[in-house]
Amino acid sequence: MSDEELAKDLGLVSAMTIGIGTMIGAGIFVLPGVAANAAGPIVVVSFVVGGVIAMVNALSISELGTAMPKAGGGYYYINKSLGPMFGSIAGMGDWMGLAFASAFYCIGFGQYLAVFVGLPAIAFLSPIQLGALLAGLVFVGVNYIGAKETGGVQTVIVFILLSILTVFAIAGFFSFDYATLAGEDGLTPFGVGAILPGTALVFVSFLGYAKIATVAEELKNPGRNLPIAIIGSVGIVTVVYTILVTTMLGVIPWPELSQDAPVAQAAEVAFPSSIGPIGGIAAAAAAVMTVGALLATASSANASILASARINFAMGRDKIVTNWLNEIHPNFATPYRSILVTGGLIIVFIAFLGRDIEVLAKAASVLHLIVYALMNAALIVFREADTPEYDPDFTVPLYPITPILGAVLSLGLVAFMDGIEIALSAAFVIAAVVWYFVYARDKTEQQGVLSDYIRNRDKEFPDQVVEAADAVAPTGNKGPTIMVAVANPRTESALITLAGAVAKHKDGRVLATHIVNVPDQTSLATAAEHKAELDASSEKLLSDAKADAEAFDVPIETRTILSHRGVAEVFDAARSNDADTVVMGYGSTRFAGGRAEGTLEELTHDLPCDFLVLDGQSLEISDVLVPTAGGPSSDLSAEVARALRDTIGADVSLLHVVASGEEEAGRTFLSEWAEGHQLGSAELRIESGDVETVIGELGSEYSLVIIGATERGLLSRIIRGSLAFDTIERLETPVLLTERPSSRSLRERVFGSR
Amino acid sequence: MTNSAESNDRELLAHVLLPVAHEDDARKTAMALEPYQPDHVTALHVVEKGGGVPDKTPVEQSEELAEESYVAVRRVFPDADDYTAYARDVVGAIFEAADEVDASAIAYRSRGGNRIMQFLSGDLSLKLVTNADRPVIALPRDDSNE
Repeated sequence: MSDEELAKDLGLVSAMTIGIGTMIGAGIFVLPGVAANAAGPIVVVSFVVGGVIAMVNALSISELGTAMPKAGGGYYYINKSLGPMFGSIAGMGDWMGLAFASAFYCIGFGQYLAVFVGLPAIAFLSPIQLGALLAGLVFVGVNYIGAKETGGVQTVIVFILLSILTVFAIAGFFSFDYATLAGEDGLTPFGVGAILPGTALVFVSFLGYAKIATVAEELKNPGRNLPIAIIGSVGIVTVVYTILVTTMLGVIPWPELSQDAPVAQAAEVAFPSSIGPIGGIAAAAAAVMTVGALLATASSANASILASARINFAMGRDKIVTNWLNEIHPNFATPYRSILVTGGLIIVFIAFLGRDIEVLAKAASVLHLIVYALMNAALIVFREADTPEYDPDFTVPLYPITPILGAVLSLGLVAFMDGIEIALSAAFVIAAVVWYFVYARDKTEQQGVLSDYIRNRDKEFPDQVVEAADAVAPTGNKGPTIMVAVANPRTESALITLAGAVAKHKDGRVLATHIVNVPDQTSLATAAEHKAELDASSEKLLSDAKADAEAFDVPIETRTILSHRGVAEVFDAARSNDADTVVMGYGSTRFAGGRAEGTLEELTHDLPCDFLVLDGQSLEISDVLVPTAGGPSSDLSAEVARALRDTIGADVSLLHVVASGEEEAGRTFLSEWAEGHQLGSAELRIESGDVETVIGELGSEYSLVIIGATERGLLSRIIRGSLAFDTIERLETPVLLTERPSSRSLRERVFGSR
Repeated sequence: MTNSAESNDRELLAHVLLPVAHEDDARKTAMALEPYQPDHVTALHVVEKGGGVPDKTPVEQSEELAEESYVAVRRVFPDADDYTAYARDVVGAIFEAADEVDASAIAYRSRGGNRIMQFLSGDLSLKLVTNADRPVIALPRDDSNE
């Protein structure tokens, strides 16, 4: 089994229980009383409408989730598709929505807890709020230390809940009385118009299916299991809600249904007080229902807190929030800061908004609905932009009707909320946009598929649209990072000159690293003790580097790394610093020593980025010779030549060596190549003969020769010393070797491997 | 006498499995082992799985953590191999990995903390030393170095 598969351990049942476990807590145990009181018996239809809206969105989420099974769910899709401004709205909306939902579940928990134990009212807190606060603290604490439910506990809880509810439904069926359901004022005491406001209130009962998508990367066979789990859990809870709410309202007249603990109350009535000689059945049933309610609301809150940490992680990865949030606790291995911040929000919401459970429920719903609407838009953009990497296993039926319907229904439902929730949510959206422009815009790098699409077709779109796309585009892309591995003072200046020119040309930055190779005999601890001396020489080297780079007016950072690994460390440093280009001296490649061959071969065969290796100590560049025969590495040579031409005014000559008699074809090739690489003004030289000999002869006329590796792995062979590169060794002129790795596919970077 | 003792040492340190939790832990653990000059080291990171419930951290983050840890170990032991295990039972995974790579010993550094902290984070030390089927080396905690 590959690592990839080992990391996936959630089966279909587990995935389904995440969805059902999150949803069922609210709909059945908390809301029926409040909702029935607002809409009358017709509230059953409100639940069905909610189920339909959730189902349409579930289809869209399934498609997006199978295309990109990545941590973060809705936020991730929206950020990729609509860009980081909408990404910020979605991320903040999802995050706050989950915090509101968690606060709501905690209040639900508090309501049933208050049935069990008498809680006092403290200061401005009602007993229910107090219970909710205690519950909230416990849930946050549990997630903070990462105490895991053993294996199938979540599954067991969901099955217990479903069986309790089944028994309840059966008992209720026998005490069901249509006259009770219809009540004195008929099925619609507040008119049919109460249905949709009712849906707006109970929609919070359906916020759970999307959480399955936030853990999509942990699902086995996500292409199949994700859609089944998402759509299946929505289907199941809709049916459960419909049956149970109908039952409850057929047992207890709606005006009398408890607003705090409806299920316990209904159970007390539905069950006979005694079966034969055994008494107290009804009371026991009510107690069991109360325990069930505590379990259900607890698991909902727990799942929401965990899901919010996933969203924080995804946002941190895109630099929309600081990665400080996502630090992992050294002992508990949990994203403790994210959990604490979310926990703080939950506590605040409980304490200040917890008196009115409707506000919490609706605020959670509105924020989620906004995210759902954006998600449907994201789906349409992915499809219309025809992104080649977008290849979902599951596709929504009736495209484009389904996603359009999803967006319209989601936003439409928002209209049925009360002013306060809409205002609250509008404030969050505005805050998210402000956050994007003030904090995130100059940090995040990727623009979405949408603005890519618009900005690349600026002729086809009205100017206003293109301007709008430009106005919100991220500015965080600081350009490429050019890492220089400086080793000694003799070559430092030449390497920095090259790096500076390339960085200047591409608006990038320079990272100068001094990798100090500590011999194996010396422990790193000892080396660290001698750090003072080391620091002095290292500091001198790096400060020279700084001065040299400043001549190019490019930002530079410096770093000293102690290591036993020698040249291999360069590769790790390049990877961990996300370097786009590494500049190093040819001499440095030689200190590898024999011992790390195996590892080194692996490293050099899979280059993390472009590599420029300079053989030569000082550079006085006035003219540059670029021999080429095409290929990715000579593309890189051309880029470097352009950078030297544009930044320090070097004259560029291109050389193409052909077999004698093929000069004409060679000239055509070279002039096309020069045009294609924006080097049209360069001098073109066509020579016949042996490549190495020609380069050897002509090279001495120039102050630098840039040679692209003609085959993959050339660099690796040179570093390992298995290929003596005579041309380089013989030439007096400095030679720059370039090698570009076979490109990492865009798919891998954006969509992850599946 | 000394000879046989030395060769025993050699055997013990022929191939050390080094479980590490994160970059800082990896650095300290590797530094603590370095003075004893093991012949070969395999760094192990166990990604704690939920086993039916979502993990504490996203897989992607866990794997980043593993990668950073290996780099930290390789700064000290350039030839170190790495091995990533995915399991709910961390100690069980360590033993399995030791079998898999045929380690001569398992070297670890206690994460410290008082009893309550150890209990809350699962007290791996106790399980590690009581259930091991091969030598377990407890490396000294040099807190002055932190």
